[in-house]
Amino acid sequence: MIELTINGKVHRLDADPDMPLLWAIRDILGLTGTKYGCGVAQCGACTVHVDGVATRSCVIPLQSAAGSTVTTIEALGGTHALQKAWEALQVPQCGYCQSGQIMSAAALLKETPKPTDAEIDAAMDGNLCRCGTYPRIKAAIKRAAGIAS
Amino acid sequence: MIDAMDSHLIHDTDLSRRALLAGLGGLAVAIALPLPTRAQTAPPGPPPLGAAAAGANAQTGMVTAYLVVKPDGKLVIISPTTEMGQGTHTAHAAIIADEVGVDFADVSVETAIPADAYRWGGAMGSGGSQGVRRWNDHLRKGAAQARVMLIQAGASRWNVDPAGITIERGYLVHTQTQRRMRIGDVAADAATFTPPDNPPLRDPSTRRYVGQNIPRLDIPAKVRGETIYSMDFRLPGMLYACARLNPVFHGDIASFDAAPALKVKGVRKVVKIQGGVAVIADTAWAAIKGADAVTVSMAPSPQDGINSAALAEAMVEGLGAAQAIPATSRGDVDAAFKSAAKTVTADYSVPYICHAPMEAWSCTGLFKDGKLELWAPTQVQDRSRRTAAATLGIDAEAVTLHTLMLGGGFGRRLMDDGIPGAAQVAKDMAGTPVKFFWRREDEFDRGYFRPAQMARLTASLDAKGTVTGMAIRISGPSMRAEFAPGGLKEGELDGSSVQDLGNLPYNLPNFKLDWARRHVRVTASPWRAVGATHNAFFLECFIDELAAAAGKDPLAFRRELLAGNKRALAVIDLVAEKAQWGRTLPKGHGQGIGFFVSYGSLSAHVVEASVVDGQPRVHRVTTVLDCGDVVLPDGARSQMEGGVVMALSAGLYEAVTVKDGRAEQRNFDTYRLMRHSETPPVIDVHFIKSGETLGGVGEPGVPPTFPAVANALSAASGKRLRSLPLVEALSV
Repeated sequence: MIELTINGKVHRLDADPDMPLLWAIRDILGLTGTKYGCGVAQCGACTVHVDGVATRSCVIPLQSAAGSTVTTIEALGGTHALQKAWEALQVPQCGYCQSGQIMSAAALLKETPKPTDAEIDAAMDGNLCRCGTYPRIKAAIKRAAGIAS
Repeated sequence: MIDAMDSHLIHDTDLSRRALLAGLGGLAVAIALPLPTRAQTAPPGPPPLGAAAAGANAQTGMVTAYLVVKPDGKLVIISPTTEMGQGTHTAHAAIIADEVGVDFADVSVETAIPADAYRWGGAMGSGGSQGVRRWNDHLRKGAAQARVMLIQAGASRWNVDPAGITIERGYLVHTQTQRRMRIGDVAADAATFTPPDNPPLRDPSTRRYVGQNIPRLDIPAKVRGETIYSMDFRLPGMLYACARLNPVFHGDIASFDAAPALKVKGVRKVVKIQGGVAVIADTAWAAIKGADAVTVSMAPSPQDGINSAALAEAMVEGLGAAQAIPATSRGDVDAAFKSAAKTVTADYSVPYICHAPMEAWSCTGLFKDGKLELWAPTQVQDRSRRTAAATLGIDAEAVTLHTLMLGGGFGRRLMDDGIPGAAQVAKDMAGTPVKFFWRREDEFDRGYFRPAQMARLTASLDAKGTVTGMAIRISGPSMRAEFAPGGLKEGELDGSSVQDLGNLPYNLPNFKLDWARRHVRVTASPWRAVGATHNAFFLECFIDELAAAAGKDPLAFRRELLAGNKRALAVIDLVAEKAQWGRTLPKGHGQGIGFFVSYGSLSAHVVEASVVDGQPRVHRVTTVLDCGDVVLPDGARSQMEGGVVMALSAGLYEAVTVKDGRAEQRNFDTYRLMRHSETPPVIDVHFIKSGETLGGVGEPGVPPTFPAVANALSAASGKRLRSLPLVEALSV
């Protein structure tokens, strides 16, 4: 049994300790907002917060997440300032990477409420978007942070 | 985004093929499986509109095949297109909401299950930047029919003249008496009326949504992580099947040992599928572990020896070969070259590139009582179901296909190579739903890339620096030979290789275009804008070289070549104005222009870029699109921004190289995509509403990006860049 807190709720999971956190979140808990993209921490589609830090859940074995607090896109509830900005600026195209993008941005703004362009780039560079929504993502982060674009 | 068939397989330089296809129409060409199908006999052009043609989509309240009126007055639109983020579902909703007269908030959209009403030219699919331009008039007519039928039903109910009734914001309104009734109240009655052949269309001035910045319908769920993509779709009792395939193109396995996989907890079974095996397990993770554990022995194949270096040699040989397949010939190029004051020639090359949608392939199947039900993220519904049927030896009518939201398409999902495995595991586990999936490495291994291609361009200039003749030789593998079932006959032209070069907007009275086929069996398929991606690069970089040879400014030189073409001049003049073409630039910066006509639209970009420590840096992109009119302005803007970024990524960084018959790049650690910090801070998008026939939006902005950034970096670096990716060309 591996115990961890996901979106504020304590879960005790009877699962393969090698199972990446990604698959536990998706297949055991049914929280499918977190996506599989590459499996090697190169695309960021699987980004969640582990103890507040943006983390690629596809390469974190469940056993190393034991005891930690995990937050997924579902916990943002649709009312997070970033989600509102994402809607206002019509950011997503296919949308597949956007949960990961929003989670990376949420971790950034928690640490750095008014990030510079360079800080946004540094925080977001691990999140790929094939549709090319990067300019809108950056604008939405600034909008959520109350920074003039 | 990409209609393989209309936009490049049926090509102006490809007339015999076009004639052949006239009887098949649209997407049907891609489906040459042996089963007798409706598609092979369907007439070209638009499908029937009536609810009778809605097939499995038929339901209570359906007035025509594209719209269902619910009792509460809400409208469910059954769209014939795949939504993959390009916004066609929202555009269809806007078109229909305006024509019927309902509030946009009351409209939702579903993707049709394949049936006659959703088959343009006999097949259902989404490509060629056709989603709005092809369907606009047809959906409007369907909505107008519904409006007339709803009014007739209201007139019967109230026993009044239908001429006195209008539909306003979802209500029937009898003007004289001011009686009102929800359209939902008469939907069932309306469906019993005969759809009128020529329903009157509403005056465009009454539109509230078309042409306005309305929010896309798919976005709220996407920002909440609630959208159900294929991998997220679940059925009770569903199992997971992870593929383990031979990474060699078209390869298969000779044998396998399931025992190591079966030792993994949760693994149920290992099944032979096309190209390899699938490991079926209780969870996705157990299936992945099992797929890694299973021992496979690869079958030798003729593709084992393919490598990029040998292909490049063959393509270079093709550039100068005496024989080639003719595409276009006008005037007398040889005579023009003989009397030239100056002749310029240059060779260009582009590599294989991968679509790399962020979502890797998966597809859920349930086989029961001889019938297969599939839930797939596909751009080709009919091709997919026919392939599934052929795989299992059942009739296509026995396959029901549901389309899920795509996590990116870009043409990759015009290929159906993920379907056989899904069908095979479903049949093997009959009665139990199974989700078949690939990993990222499989996406790269399967390929279906935009093929590598080379070009040799030669042109003559007179003493005034005017172009008097141009010859273009394209050399390389054929996309269609890999993509179209039945392939491409020897000696037959692949229209995609010479796409959009045959009828350039430039004044080139003496012109010759041909193609040397130098094929290897690396899988290939349409990549967003298809052959225009390389041909715009070849041509528009060469135009810059000619301008330099003539001692003229690249913009002024293009203006001369476009003399008299008002529409084209308006596009390049606007992009030049918005980009402040020719302004004094910061040290080390260069401006580059690219202009290209594809998918019925004209697009020009100006890129400003520099080279810092050998790395390209794009500072600004200014872009103009003339697609006739704009149905969904912010969606179109989004497509232009995204198309520019995708093309910058491909042009600057991307290449697949082949060694021993397989892709050397298997994930994003070796296949470089553009990232946040590399993206230009400004992509300034402008539209020209010329009022001409609607053109495409998803693709036309892609092609001119390649030469615009190459020309900018050539100007910035002082070195003429003739090959992609540019990051490599700069380092040579």
